[in-house]
Amino acid sequence: MLVEDHIKHNKRLTFLICGFMALLFLSVIFAFGYIYFGNIYISLFFGLPVAIIYIGITYSFSVQTVLSAAKARPANSRIREEKLLMYKVEEMAIAAGLPIPKVYVQDSNNINAFATGKKPEEAIICATTGALQKLKTDELEGVIAHEMSHIKNHDILIATVTIGVVGAIALISEIVFYSMFWGGAGRGGRKNEGNAIIMILAIILIILAPIFSRLTYLAISRKREYLADSNGAYLTRNPEGLAKALESIKNDTSSGKPKGSKTVAPLYIANPFKSQSINSIWATHPPLDERIRRLRSM
Amino acid sequence: MELLLTVGIVILVVVILFLLIFWGYYNRIIRLENRIDNSWAQIDVQLKRRADLIPNLMETVKGYMTHEKETLENVTKARSALMNAKTPQDNINADNMLTGALKTLFAVAESYPDLKANQNFLQLQDELTHTEDKISYARQHFNDSVLAFNNIVETIPGVWFAKRMNKTVKEMLQIPIENREVPKVKF
Repeated sequence: MLVEDHIKHNKRLTFLICGFMALLFLSVIFAFGYIYFGNIYISLFFGLPVAIIYIGITYSFSVQTVLSAAKARPANSRIREEKLLMYKVEEMAIAAGLPIPKVYVQDSNNINAFATGKKPEEAIICATTGALQKLKTDELEGVIAHEMSHIKNHDILIATVTIGVVGAIALISEIVFYSMFWGGAGRGGRKNEGNAIIMILAIILIILAPIFSRLTYLAISRKREYLADSNGAYLTRNPEGLAKALESIKNDTSSGKPKGSKTVAPLYIANPFKSQSINSIWATHPPLDERIRRLRSM
Repeated sequence: MELLLTVGIVILVVVILFLLIFWGYYNRIIRLENRIDNSWAQIDVQLKRRADLIPNLMETVKGYMTHEKETLENVTKARSALMNAKTPQDNINADNMLTGALKTLFAVAESYPDLKANQNFLQLQDELTHTEDKISYARQHFNDSVLAFNNIVETIPGVWFAKRMNKTVKEMLQIPIENREVPKVKF
Protein backbone atom coordinates (compact mmCIF):
# COMPACT_ATOMS: atom_id res chain seq x y z
CA MET A 1 0.00 0.00 0.00
CA LEU A 2 1.18 3.52 -0.67
CA VAL A 3 1.80 5.80 2.28
CA GLU A 4 -1.20 7.88 1.23
CA ASP A 5 -3.46 4.82 1.40
CA HIS A 6 -2.26 4.02 4.91
CA ILE A 7 -3.08 7.60 5.93
CA LYS A 8 -6.62 7.46 4.50
CA HIS A 9 -7.31 4.08 6.06
CA ASN A 10 -6.14 5.13 9.52
CA LYS A 11 -8.11 8.39 9.41
CA ARG A 12 -11.35 6.60 8.50
CA LEU A 13 -10.98 4.11 11.33
CA THR A 14 -10.36 6.89 13.82
CA PHE A 15 -13.60 8.63 12.82
CA LEU A 16 -15.56 5.40 13.30
CA ILE A 17 -14.07 4.70 16.69
CA CYS A 18 -14.51 8.29 17.92
CA GLY A 19 -18.13 8.18 16.76
CA PHE A 20 -18.65 5.03 18.81
CA MET A 21 -17.13 6.74 21.84
CA ALA A 22 -19.42 9.75 21.46
CA LEU A 23 -22.43 7.43 21.21
CA LEU A 24 -21.34 5.55 24.31
CA PHE A 25 -20.92 8.77 26.24
CA LEU A 26 -24.35 10.04 25.27
CA SER A 27 -26.03 6.74 26.17
CA VAL A 28 -24.38 6.82 29.58
CA ILE A 29 -25.70 10.32 30.22
CA PHE A 30 -29.16 9.29 29.05
CA ALA A 31 -29.07 6.18 31.24
CA PHE A 32 -28.03 8.25 34.24
CA GLY A 33 -30.87 10.65 33.66
CA TYR A 34 -33.33 7.83 33.26
CA ILE A 35 -32.30 6.11 36.47
CA TYR A 36 -32.50 9.22 38.58
CA PHE A 37 -35.06 11.44 37.03
CA GLY A 38 -37.08 9.14 34.79
CA ASN A 39 -36.23 11.68 32.13
CA ILE A 40 -33.16 11.67 29.93
CA TYR A 41 -33.18 15.35 29.04
CA ILE A 42 -32.53 16.66 32.54
CA SER A 43 -29.23 14.83 32.83
CA LEU A 44 -28.26 16.03 29.36
CA PHE A 45 -28.94 19.58 30.46
CA PHE A 46 -26.79 19.29 33.58
CA GLY A 47 -24.42 16.48 32.67
CA LEU A 48 -23.10 17.75 29.36
CA PRO A 49 -21.91 21.16 30.62
CA VAL A 50 -20.24 19.52 33.63
CA ALA A 51 -18.47 17.02 31.39
CA ILE A 52 -17.33 19.78 29.06
CA ILE A 53 -15.96 21.86 31.94
CA TYR A 54 -14.13 18.81 33.34
CA ILE A 55 -12.55 18.08 29.98
CA GLY A 56 -11.71 21.77 29.49
CA ILE A 57 -9.86 21.92 32.81
CA THR A 58 -7.78 18.79 32.17
CA TYR A 59 -6.93 20.18 28.73
CA SER A 60 -5.76 23.54 30.08
CA PHE A 61 -3.31 21.91 32.45
CA SER A 62 -2.24 19.10 30.12
CA VAL A 63 1.10 20.66 29.12
CA GLN A 64 2.37 21.41 32.64
CA THR A 65 1.20 17.99 33.82
CA VAL A 66 3.08 16.15 31.10
CA LEU A 67 6.27 18.18 31.29
CA SER A 68 6.64 17.95 35.06
CA ALA A 69 5.71 14.26 35.11
CA ALA A 70 8.44 13.62 32.56
CA LYS A 71 10.93 15.96 34.28
CA ALA A 72 11.80 17.44 30.92
CA ARG A 73 14.14 20.42 30.46
CA PRO A 74 14.58 22.76 27.47
CA ALA A 75 17.22 21.59 24.98
CA ASN A 76 20.68 23.13 25.36
CA SER A 77 22.02 24.37 22.04
CA ARG A 78 25.61 24.32 23.36
CA ILE A 79 25.54 20.52 23.46
CA ARG A 80 26.03 19.38 19.88
CA GLU A 81 23.56 16.46 20.07
CA GLU A 82 20.85 18.69 21.42
CA LYS A 83 21.64 21.38 18.85
CA LEU A 84 21.24 18.76 16.12
CA LEU A 85 17.92 17.71 17.69
CA MET A 86 16.72 21.32 17.47
CA TYR A 87 17.83 21.38 13.83
CA LYS A 88 15.86 18.20 13.09
CA VAL A 89 12.72 19.58 14.75
CA GLU A 90 13.00 22.75 12.68
CA GLU A 91 13.41 20.75 9.46
CA MET A 92 10.39 18.57 10.17
CA ALA A 93 8.31 21.63 11.02
CA ILE A 94 9.17 23.10 7.62
CA ALA A 95 8.26 19.86 5.88
CA ALA A 96 4.93 19.77 7.72
CA GLY A 97 4.17 23.47 7.21
CA LEU A 98 3.86 24.02 10.97
CA PRO A 99 5.36 26.64 13.31
CA ILE A 100 8.50 25.36 15.01
CA PRO A 101 7.71 23.61 18.31
CA LYS A 102 9.82 24.19 21.43
CA VAL A 103 12.36 21.45 22.01
CA TYR A 104 12.79 19.70 25.35
CA VAL A 105 15.06 16.91 26.51
CA GLN A 106 14.53 14.18 29.10
CA ASP A 107 17.63 12.77 30.77
CA SER A 108 17.12 9.05 30.44
CA ASN A 109 18.88 6.03 28.98
CA ASN A 110 15.74 4.78 27.28
CA ILE A 111 15.14 5.65 23.65
CA ASN A 112 11.92 7.60 23.52
CA ALA A 113 10.23 10.85 22.50
CA PHE A 114 6.91 12.55 22.97
CA ALA A 115 4.93 15.55 21.82
CA THR A 116 2.55 17.75 23.74
CA GLY A 117 0.93 21.16 23.59
CA LYS A 118 -2.52 22.66 23.44
CA LYS A 119 -2.41 23.52 19.76
CA PRO A 120 0.07 23.30 16.88
CA GLU A 121 1.17 26.91 17.49
CA GLU A 122 2.20 26.11 21.07
CA ALA A 123 3.60 22.64 20.60
CA ILE A 124 6.49 20.96 22.39
CA ILE A 125 8.59 18.00 21.29
CA CYS A 126 10.79 16.15 23.76
CA ALA A 127 13.37 13.42 23.19
CA THR A 128 15.39 11.39 25.67
CA THR A 129 19.17 11.74 25.87
CA GLY A 130 19.23 7.99 25.20
CA ALA A 131 17.54 8.60 21.85
CA LEU A 132 20.04 11.33 20.95
CA GLN A 133 22.97 9.09 21.70
CA LYS A 134 21.77 5.77 20.36
CA LEU A 135 19.85 6.67 17.20
CA LYS A 136 21.43 7.49 13.83
CA THR A 137 20.42 10.66 12.00
CA ASP A 138 17.78 9.14 9.72
CA GLU A 139 16.34 7.15 12.65
CA LEU A 140 16.04 10.28 14.82
CA GLU A 141 14.50 12.10 11.87
CA GLY A 142 11.84 9.40 11.58
CA VAL A 143 11.03 9.68 15.28
CA ILE A 144 10.73 13.47 15.12
CA ALA A 145 8.55 13.20 12.00
CA HIS A 146 6.28 10.81 13.91
CA GLU A 147 5.94 13.29 16.79
CA MET A 148 5.40 16.20 14.37
CA SER A 149 2.56 14.21 12.79
CA HIS A 150 0.93 13.82 16.20
CA ILE A 151 0.98 17.61 16.51
CA LYS A 152 -0.35 18.15 13.00
CA ASN A 153 -3.17 15.66 13.52
CA HIS A 154 -4.24 17.34 16.77
CA ASP A 155 -3.65 14.03 18.53
CA ILE A 156 -2.94 15.67 21.85
CA LEU A 157 -6.37 17.30 21.78
CA ILE A 158 -8.02 14.03 20.75
CA ALA A 159 -6.18 12.07 23.43
CA THR A 160 -7.04 14.57 26.19
CA VAL A 161 -10.71 14.79 25.21
CA THR A 162 -11.01 11.01 24.95
CA ILE A 163 -9.33 10.45 28.32
CA GLY A 164 -11.65 13.12 29.73
CA VAL A 165 -14.68 11.26 28.39
CA VAL A 166 -13.38 8.00 29.84
CA GLY A 167 -12.93 9.74 33.18
CA ALA A 168 -16.39 11.30 33.05
CA ILE A 169 -17.99 7.94 32.28
CA ALA A 170 -16.11 6.33 35.16
CA LEU A 171 -17.23 9.14 37.46
CA ILE A 172 -20.90 8.81 36.50
CA SER A 173 -20.65 5.07 36.92
CA GLU A 174 -19.29 5.42 40.44
CA ILE A 175 -21.97 7.92 41.40
CA VAL A 176 -24.66 5.47 40.29
CA PHE A 177 -23.05 2.62 42.24
CA TYR A 178 -22.64 4.52 45.45
CA SER A 179 -26.13 5.93 45.40
CA MET A 180 -27.64 2.55 44.56
CA PHE A 181 -25.67 1.12 47.44
CA TRP A 182 -27.20 3.64 49.77
CA GLY A 183 -30.61 3.04 48.20
CA GLY A 184 -31.25 6.15 46.20
CA ALA A 185 -32.05 4.95 42.71
CA GLY A 186 -35.43 4.81 41.13
CA ARG A 187 -36.60 8.19 42.19
CA GLY A 188 -38.01 8.73 38.76
CA GLY A 189 -41.62 7.96 38.19
CA ARG A 190 -42.30 4.40 37.15
CA LYS A 191 -45.48 4.46 35.30
CA ASN A 192 -45.65 0.92 34.02
CA GLU A 193 -43.84 -2.42 33.86
CA GLY A 194 -42.05 -1.55 30.63
CA ASN A 195 -39.96 0.99 32.50
CA ALA A 196 -38.42 -1.70 34.70
CA ILE A 197 -36.80 -3.38 31.71
CA ILE A 198 -35.37 -0.11 30.50
CA MET A 199 -34.18 0.55 34.03
CA ILE A 200 -32.29 -2.74 34.06
CA LEU A 201 -30.77 -2.04 30.67
CA ALA A 202 -29.69 1.39 31.87
CA ILE A 203 -28.00 -0.12 34.90
CA ILE A 204 -26.19 -2.74 32.83
CA LEU A 205 -25.01 0.02 30.49
CA ILE A 206 -23.64 1.99 33.42
CA ILE A 207 -21.79 -1.06 34.71
CA LEU A 208 -20.21 -1.97 31.40
CA ALA A 209 -19.59 1.52 30.07
CA PRO A 210 -16.31 2.20 31.92
CA ILE A 211 -14.77 -0.97 30.50
CA PHE A 212 -16.03 -0.30 26.98
CA SER A 213 -14.94 3.32 27.05
CA ARG A 214 -11.46 2.36 28.20
CA LEU A 215 -11.15 -0.27 25.45
CA THR A 216 -12.39 2.24 22.88
CA TYR A 217 -9.88 4.81 24.08
CA LEU A 218 -7.06 2.28 23.71
CA ALA A 219 -8.25 1.40 20.20
CA ILE A 220 -8.25 5.10 19.28
CA SER A 221 -4.78 5.47 20.74
CA ARG A 222 -3.42 2.60 18.65
CA LYS A 223 -5.00 3.89 15.44
CA ARG A 224 -3.53 7.36 16.02
CA GLU A 225 -0.11 5.75 16.47
CA TYR A 226 -0.42 4.02 13.08
CA LEU A 227 -1.56 7.31 11.55
CA ALA A 228 1.42 9.16 13.05
CA ASP A 229 3.71 6.44 11.64
CA SER A 230 2.26 6.83 8.13
CA ASN A 231 2.20 10.63 8.22
CA GLY A 232 5.72 10.68 9.59
CA ALA A 233 6.92 8.38 6.81
CA TYR A 234 5.27 10.73 4.32
CA LEU A 235 7.07 13.74 5.79
CA THR A 236 10.52 12.21 5.51
CA ARG A 237 9.69 10.19 2.34
CA ASN A 238 11.75 7.55 4.15
CA PRO A 239 9.71 4.92 6.07
CA GLU A 240 12.89 2.90 6.62
CA GLY A 241 14.28 5.57 8.96
CA LEU A 242 11.44 5.19 11.45
CA ALA A 243 11.42 1.40 10.95
CA LYS A 244 15.08 1.23 11.96
CA ALA A 245 14.43 3.49 14.94
CA LEU A 246 11.65 1.18 16.15
CA GLU A 247 14.01 -1.76 15.77
CA SER A 248 16.61 0.04 17.86
CA ILE A 249 13.95 0.64 20.50
CA LYS A 250 13.00 -3.03 20.41
CA ASN A 251 16.58 -4.15 20.92
CA ASP A 252 17.40 -1.55 23.52
CA THR A 253 18.07 -3.32 26.79
CA SER A 254 18.90 -0.37 29.00
CA SER A 255 17.37 -0.41 32.42
CA GLY A 256 16.00 2.49 34.39
CA LYS A 257 12.48 3.08 35.50
CA PRO A 258 10.53 5.15 33.00
CA LYS A 259 9.48 8.50 34.37
CA GLY A 260 5.90 9.61 34.45
CA SER A 261 2.65 7.88 35.27
CA LYS A 262 0.85 5.44 33.03
CA THR A 263 -1.48 8.15 31.76
CA VAL A 264 1.28 9.91 29.85
CA ALA A 265 2.30 6.65 28.20
CA PRO A 266 0.25 7.16 25.02
CA LEU A 267 2.10 10.35 24.15
CA TYR A 268 5.41 8.53 23.82
CA ILE A 269 6.50 6.95 20.56
CA ALA A 270 6.93 3.56 22.22
CA ASN A 271 5.35 2.30 25.37
CA PRO A 272 7.82 3.17 28.14
CA PHE A 273 6.30 0.53 30.37
CA LYS A 274 7.56 -2.58 28.60
CA SER A 275 5.91 -4.80 31.16
CA GLN A 276 2.55 -4.07 29.56
CA SER A 277 1.64 -6.94 27.26
CA ILE A 278 2.36 -5.66 23.79
CA ASN A 279 -0.18 -7.63 21.82
CA SER A 280 -3.34 -7.14 23.83
CA ILE A 281 -6.35 -4.89 23.45
CA TRP A 282 -5.22 -3.22 26.64
CA ALA A 283 -2.12 -1.72 25.00
CA THR A 284 -1.87 1.99 24.21
CA HIS A 285 0.57 1.34 21.39
CA PRO A 286 0.40 -1.19 18.58
CA PRO A 287 3.02 -3.95 18.76
CA LEU A 288 6.44 -2.78 17.51
CA ASP A 289 6.78 -5.67 15.04
CA GLU A 290 3.51 -4.81 13.32
CA ARG A 291 4.47 -1.13 13.09
CA ILE A 292 7.82 -2.07 11.54
CA ARG A 293 6.12 -4.42 9.09
CA ARG A 294 3.65 -1.75 7.94
CA LEU A 295 6.41 0.84 7.51
CA ARG A 296 8.47 -1.55 5.41
CA SER A 297 5.51 -2.33 3.18
CA MET A 298 5.11 1.31 2.11
CA MET B 1 -50.65 29.57 -6.60
CA GLU B 2 -49.47 26.88 -4.15
CA LEU B 3 -47.41 25.22 -6.87
CA LEU B 4 -45.70 28.47 -7.79
CA LEU B 5 -44.74 29.07 -4.19
CA THR B 6 -43.29 25.56 -3.78
CA VAL B 7 -41.30 25.85 -7.00
CA GLY B 8 -40.03 29.24 -5.88
CA ILE B 9 -38.84 27.88 -2.54
CA VAL B 10 -37.11 24.89 -4.16
CA ILE B 11 -35.27 27.17 -6.57
CA LEU B 12 -34.24 29.44 -3.69
CA VAL B 13 -32.87 26.49 -1.71
CA VAL B 14 -30.90 25.21 -4.70
CA VAL B 15 -29.42 28.65 -5.35
CA ILE B 16 -28.42 29.05 -1.69
CA LEU B 17 -26.84 25.58 -1.67
CA PHE B 18 -24.87 26.39 -4.80
CA LEU B 19 -23.64 29.67 -3.32
CA LEU B 20 -22.54 27.90 -0.13
CA ILE B 21 -20.61 25.30 -2.10
CA PHE B 22 -19.04 28.00 -4.24
CA TRP B 23 -18.05 29.90 -1.10
CA GLY B 24 -16.39 26.79 0.30
CA TYR B 25 -14.42 25.99 -2.83
CA TYR B 26 -13.45 29.61 -3.47
CA ASN B 27 -11.91 29.94 -0.02
CA ARG B 28 -10.23 26.57 -0.22
CA ILE B 29 -8.60 27.42 -3.55
CA ILE B 30 -7.40 30.78 -2.23
CA ARG B 31 -5.99 29.20 0.94
CA LEU B 32 -4.12 26.52 -0.98
CA GLU B 33 -2.69 29.16 -3.29
CA ASN B 34 -1.54 31.21 -0.30
CA ARG B 35 0.10 28.14 1.15
CA ILE B 36 2.08 27.75 -2.07
CA ASP B 37 3.23 31.38 -1.94
CA ASN B 38 4.17 30.99 1.71
CA SER B 39 6.16 27.81 1.10
CA TRP B 40 8.04 29.49 -1.76
CA ALA B 41 8.89 32.39 0.55
CA GLN B 42 10.23 29.79 3.02
CA ILE B 43 12.55 28.37 0.37
CA ASP B 44 13.69 31.85 -0.48
CA VAL B 45 14.50 32.63 3.18
CA GLN B 46 16.67 29.50 3.46
CA LEU B 47 18.44 30.18 0.16
CA LYS B 48 19.32 33.68 1.33
CA ARG B 49 20.50 32.28 4.65
CA ARG B 50 22.82 29.89 2.89
CA ALA B 51 24.17 32.61 0.63
CA ASP B 52 24.86 34.69 3.76
CA LEU B 53 26.84 31.91 5.40
CA ILE B 54 29.22 31.48 2.49
CA PRO B 55 31.42 34.60 3.00
CA ASN B 56 31.92 33.50 6.62
CA LEU B 57 32.93 30.05 5.46
CA MET B 58 35.34 31.48 2.87
CA GLU B 59 37.03 33.62 5.53
CA THR B 60 37.50 30.61 7.81
CA VAL B 61 38.94 28.23 5.23
CA LYS B 62 41.04 30.49 3.04
CA GLY B 63 43.87 30.63 5.60
CA TYR B 64 44.09 26.83 5.57
CA MET B 65 43.20 25.80 2.04
CA THR B 66 45.66 28.07 0.24
CA HIS B 67 46.24 25.60 -2.63
CA GLU B 68 42.61 24.83 -3.41
CA LYS B 69 41.85 27.84 -5.59
CA GLU B 70 39.54 26.00 -7.97
CA THR B 71 37.43 24.47 -5.23
CA LEU B 72 37.00 27.79 -3.47
CA GLU B 73 36.26 29.60 -6.72
CA ASN B 74 33.52 27.11 -7.60
CA VAL B 75 31.76 27.92 -4.35
CA THR B 76 31.99 31.67 -4.96
CA LYS B 77 30.75 31.28 -8.55
CA ALA B 78 27.80 29.17 -7.44
CA ARG B 79 26.94 31.73 -4.82
CA SER B 80 26.81 34.55 -7.39
CA ALA B 81 24.60 32.40 -9.59
CA LEU B 82 22.26 32.03 -6.63
CA MET B 83 22.17 35.77 -5.96
CA ASN B 84 21.33 36.42 -9.63
CA ALA B 85 18.64 33.79 -10.00
CA LYS B 86 15.26 35.11 -11.12
CA THR B 87 12.69 32.35 -11.53
CA PRO B 88 11.95 29.59 -8.97
CA GLN B 89 13.52 27.01 -11.28
CA ASP B 90 16.63 29.24 -11.72
CA ASN B 91 16.89 29.36 -7.96
CA ILE B 92 16.71 25.60 -7.65
CA ASN B 93 19.34 25.07 -10.36
CA ALA B 94 21.73 27.55 -8.73
CA ASP B 95 21.06 25.94 -5.36
CA ASN B 96 22.06 22.54 -6.73
CA MET B 97 25.26 23.98 -8.14
CA LEU B 98 26.10 25.44 -4.73
CA THR B 99 25.34 22.16 -2.98
CA GLY B 100 27.70 20.34 -5.33
CA ALA B 101 30.46 22.92 -4.87
CA LEU B 102 30.12 22.75 -1.08
CA LYS B 103 30.22 18.95 -1.12
CA THR B 104 33.56 19.10 -2.92
CA LEU B 105 34.86 21.73 -0.50
CA PHE B 106 33.94 19.66 2.56
CA ALA B 107 35.41 16.52 0.98
CA VAL B 108 38.68 18.35 0.31
CA ALA B 109 38.63 19.78 3.86
CA GLU B 110 38.96 16.21 5.16
CA SER B 111 42.67 16.33 4.33
CA TYR B 112 43.28 19.43 6.45
CA PRO B 113 43.23 18.24 10.10
CA ASP B 114 43.89 21.75 11.45
CA LEU B 115 40.84 23.05 9.63
CA LYS B 116 38.73 20.15 10.85
CA ALA B 117 39.64 21.01 14.43
CA ASN B 118 38.60 24.62 14.00
CA GLN B 119 35.44 25.21 16.04
CA ASN B 120 34.23 27.93 13.71
CA PHE B 121 34.55 25.63 10.73
CA LEU B 122 32.66 22.82 12.49
CA GLN B 123 29.82 25.12 13.44
CA LEU B 124 29.59 26.52 9.91
CA GLN B 125 29.60 23.01 8.51
CA ASP B 126 26.75 22.00 10.82
CA GLU B 127 24.77 25.07 9.93
CA LEU B 128 25.32 24.74 6.19
CA THR B 129 24.20 21.10 6.27
CA HIS B 130 21.19 22.17 8.31
CA THR B 131 20.31 24.90 5.81
CA GLU B 132 20.58 22.42 2.93
CA ASP B 133 18.21 20.04 4.71
CA LYS B 134 15.80 22.91 5.35
CA ILE B 135 15.87 23.88 1.68
CA SER B 136 15.22 20.29 0.70
CA TYR B 137 12.21 20.00 3.03
CA ALA B 138 10.92 23.44 2.07
CA ARG B 139 11.00 22.32 -1.57
CA GLN B 140 9.15 19.17 -0.60
CA HIS B 141 6.51 21.20 1.22
CA PHE B 142 6.21 23.50 -1.80
CA ASN B 143 5.57 20.52 -4.07
CA ASP B 144 3.10 19.07 -1.55
CA SER B 145 1.22 22.39 -1.54
CA VAL B 146 1.20 22.48 -5.35
CA LEU B 147 -0.13 18.92 -5.38
CA ALA B 148 -3.01 19.82 -3.07
CA PHE B 149 -3.80 22.89 -5.17
CA ASN B 150 -3.66 20.99 -8.48
CA ASN B 151 -5.88 18.26 -7.08
CA ILE B 152 -8.63 20.75 -6.21
CA VAL B 153 -8.29 22.68 -9.45
CA GLU B 154 -8.41 19.60 -11.66
CA THR B 155 -11.11 17.47 -10.05
CA ILE B 156 -14.86 17.98 -10.20
CA PRO B 157 -16.42 20.28 -9.00
CA GLY B 158 -13.32 22.36 -8.23
CA VAL B 159 -12.46 22.48 -11.91
CA TRP B 160 -15.61 24.49 -12.71
CA PHE B 161 -15.01 27.03 -9.94
CA ALA B 162 -11.32 27.33 -10.79
CA LYS B 163 -12.12 28.23 -14.38
CA ARG B 164 -14.36 31.07 -13.21
CA MET B 165 -11.59 32.28 -10.90
CA ASN B 166 -9.00 32.04 -13.69
CA LYS B 167 -6.86 29.63 -11.69
CA THR B 168 -4.87 26.98 -13.51
CA VAL B 169 -2.61 24.12 -12.61
CA LYS B 170 0.75 25.15 -11.13
CA GLU B 171 4.13 23.64 -11.77
CA MET B 172 6.12 21.69 -9.26
CA LEU B 173 9.83 22.24 -8.75
CA GLN B 174 12.07 19.83 -10.59
CA ILE B 175 15.57 18.85 -9.60
CA PRO B 176 17.59 18.53 -12.81
CA ILE B 177 19.57 15.28 -12.82
CA GLU B 178 22.52 16.77 -14.73
CA ASN B 179 23.16 19.25 -11.98
CA ARG B 180 23.99 16.57 -9.45
CA GLU B 181 27.78 16.59 -9.32
CA VAL B 182 29.84 13.76 -7.93
CA PRO B 183 32.64 15.49 -6.00
CA LYS B 184 36.01 14.88 -7.63
CA VAL B 185 38.73 15.02 -5.02
CA LYS B 186 42.34 15.46 -6.20
CA PHE B 187 45.01 14.58 -3.67
